[in-house]
Amino acid sequence: MNKTLVASLMLGAAVMVSAPAYAIDSTGCGLGSMAWRGQSGILPQVAAVTTNGTFGTQTFGITFGTSGCDPNGRVTGGTQKMVLAFLENNLEQFAMDAAAGQGETLTTLAGIMDMDEKTVAEKTYQNFAVLFPNENVDAVDVTLKFYQIMKA
Amino acid sequence: MKKILPALGLWFLTCTAAYADKPLPADLPEWLALGHYQKKWFGYKGTIGSDNFYLSPKGKTNPTKELEATIALFQSDDTEKQCLFPARYMFLKKHGLVSAPFPSCAEFEQFREDLRPAGMTLLFTDAYMNNSSSLFGHTLLRVDTARKGTQLLAHGINYGAWTQGYENSFLYAVYGLAGFYPGGYTVKPYYDVINTYNNIENRDIWEYNLDLTPEELDLFVAHIWEVGQTTTPYYFFTQNCSYMLMELFDAVRPELKLAADFEGQTIPLDTIKAVNAREGLVKSVNYRPSRQRKIRHRIKQMNERQYDAFLDAVTLDLTGAQNLPEAEKADVLETAYQYVQYQYVAGDLALKDYRQKSFQLLKARNQAAAGQTFDELKEGQNPVSSHDSMMASFGIGVRNGDFFEQLSFRPAYHQVTDRGYGFLLGAEINFLDVSFRHYDKHDKYVLDKLNILQLSSFSPIDAVFQAASYRIGLDVSRQVNPKSEDEGYVLNGNVGGGGTFALNDHLWFYGLSSAEAAYGGFLPNNQWLGAGLAAGAIVSFAKTALQVEVKKVFATDKIGSTLKWNLRADYYLSRNRALEAVVAYTQNYGKNQTEALLRLKQYF
Repeated sequence: MNKTLVASLMLGAAVMVSAPAYAIDSTGCGLGSMAWRGQSGILPQVAAVTTNGTFGTQTFGITFGTSGCDPNGRVTGGTQKMVLAFLENNLEQFAMDAAAGQGETLTTLAGIMDMDEKTVAEKTYQNFAVLFPNENVDAVDVTLKFYQIMKA
Repeated sequence: MKKILPALGLWFLTCTAAYADKPLPADLPEWLALGHYQKKWFGYKGTIGSDNFYLSPKGKTNPTKELEATIALFQSDDTEKQCLFPARYMFLKKHGLVSAPFPSCAEFEQFREDLRPAGMTLLFTDAYMNNSSSLFGHTLLRVDTARKGTQLLAHGINYGAWTQGYENSFLYAVYGLAGFYPGGYTVKPYYDVINTYNNIENRDIWEYNLDLTPEELDLFVAHIWEVGQTTTPYYFFTQNCSYMLMELFDAVRPELKLAADFEGQTIPLDTIKAVNAREGLVKSVNYRPSRQRKIRHRIKQMNERQYDAFLDAVTLDLTGAQNLPEAEKADVLETAYQYVQYQYVAGDLALKDYRQKSFQLLKARNQAAAGQTFDELKEGQNPVSSHDSMMASFGIGVRNGDFFEQLSFRPAYHQVTDRGYGFLLGAEINFLDVSFRHYDKHDKYVLDKLNILQLSSFSPIDAVFQAASYRIGLDVSRQVNPKSEDEGYVLNGNVGGGGTFALNDHLWFYGLSSAEAAYGGFLPNNQWLGAGLAAGAIVSFAKTALQVEVKKVFATDKIGSTLKWNLRADYYLSRNRALEAVVAYTQNYGKNQTEALLRLKQYF
């Protein structure tokens, strides 16, 4: 084998693994929730259920990137839009908290809806089968049912 | 690093200021920090790269001109541009340099409205051994929120490199070292940050809550808005994610002088330590363990029948779980669910199976009583209390009866026998570790070894988690040819993979197979290629650690075919001081070489 090649390959390999890049991730938002996301992508879904206003404009331009969910990468909008965005991105954790009747996501949702935390926890626990009737639910279904349950 | 010629720099500034119409406070630390000016040999240089940040054509190097241009901006009617500099406005206002009110800025106001700042938190995410860009961990900021609910609705502010399209390039790292990528800021909800680090990459998050006054918090958010619009060439080792955050801290509280601590390399962990060392800056610490760590902690609390039921439950055999006493069911089913999430993210489950399992497990969980009996993991080893990143050592040793003294220096970072507190267990990053020796017999000074890079990740395999272990190394070593007894330098490289088995928390065994290569004019045929097999054990306790390994290499050249025994034992005298003994035995050409070294290691 060419000896320069051996040496440069080894050097190259070392440099490749040695660089702390802290690259901005392109994973997008809520990869952890991709599995239960609907097939059509988030934008049409949000449009379908969001009654209060549209998305904000992209204030930060291209250098101030986003999570991939909201164009601004920010928690924004009215209650319903926030609940949907939150469930869209935390559906798996929410599913467990709902099944168990306790957890951080329930506290957060109670905060967004300005409701008593204990009431939210009890209602989601009792209505888990309504929120998650089968394995193919998506965030839009869950959000709409969550609203119905909370209002009941 | 010490500043050279500080007096000259000061003279330069005074001189410039004297020519201005009116004395301006451009040399105020507050202004210099807001403009990200760093003192150089002759005057100042601004860090920020993009053209839109410095208003004056000379603003990047001249703080006075920049201040004049800023004052002029707020005297003009260009409200659109004024809206980009709310923090500078606050500075002008404080010093009576502006009389007009700050304009109405819809976008900035929306930004503040969405964030609803209630505080600031510095976040540290620990090492991620599966990605070369995250080996040293990562830091980012969180703007705490005043919204009702939890901090899940807060926002993470991240500074990073835009590497899209180059990740698979051979020159990926070279570009990064050379500042080829633009660095910029992103904002995302904190629940996304948690998903990314805790749940997808299985990394712990440490939250350091900062003690800021309401005015400082306002300034911080306003300044984030200012720099949020900018880009700056990103340098992997120096002007990286952690360095830029130091400049942000300085902009808010200039007397911190944090950026000045990092004129050379910036290792994320070091910046966390610097922030924690500044008096009155950190008021509390919170720990968010990774999903993997949470699952491990839950499994540890299971009794035997719960553990068996758990292993069955993850394959959707729920009979074991259903037969448990009522009080024991919930914890098992919840852990099984978390594990299924883990498996899916790891790519070990197809979407269809994942959905089915998740649903069945939660359905069963919901039918058990509410609440849980297992406690959650709340305590961890705060990385702030880990040993420091750089290390120097002095030692004495003997090689085949020839006594020597050895001096070593390692700029970064951690090896498996170093004190492990606060580090990822089994992870090892040795970078540019260099050793010099003086041999007594011939009164000779030599470079003994330059360990350019060694990366290892020993990750125990058990019934639940199966991660591969690996080791990569590249070094230049002074070697003896046992046949001719000549000495010379050889460039060695190796890449190996295998598995680790943990008998308990303190005793791990591992096996690795590797590809080996060596190159050097000193070698009989200039180079050799080989295959290696290694087996070893790692013993670690709070005060001491030990690694023993035997390795056999089969090579294309006899000089590469070796059998090596290595033993390394460390005893920790304090957080930053350790005694280390190394014994190495090598068999080559049927001859033996034995070497022993005792050294005192100091971290700093």
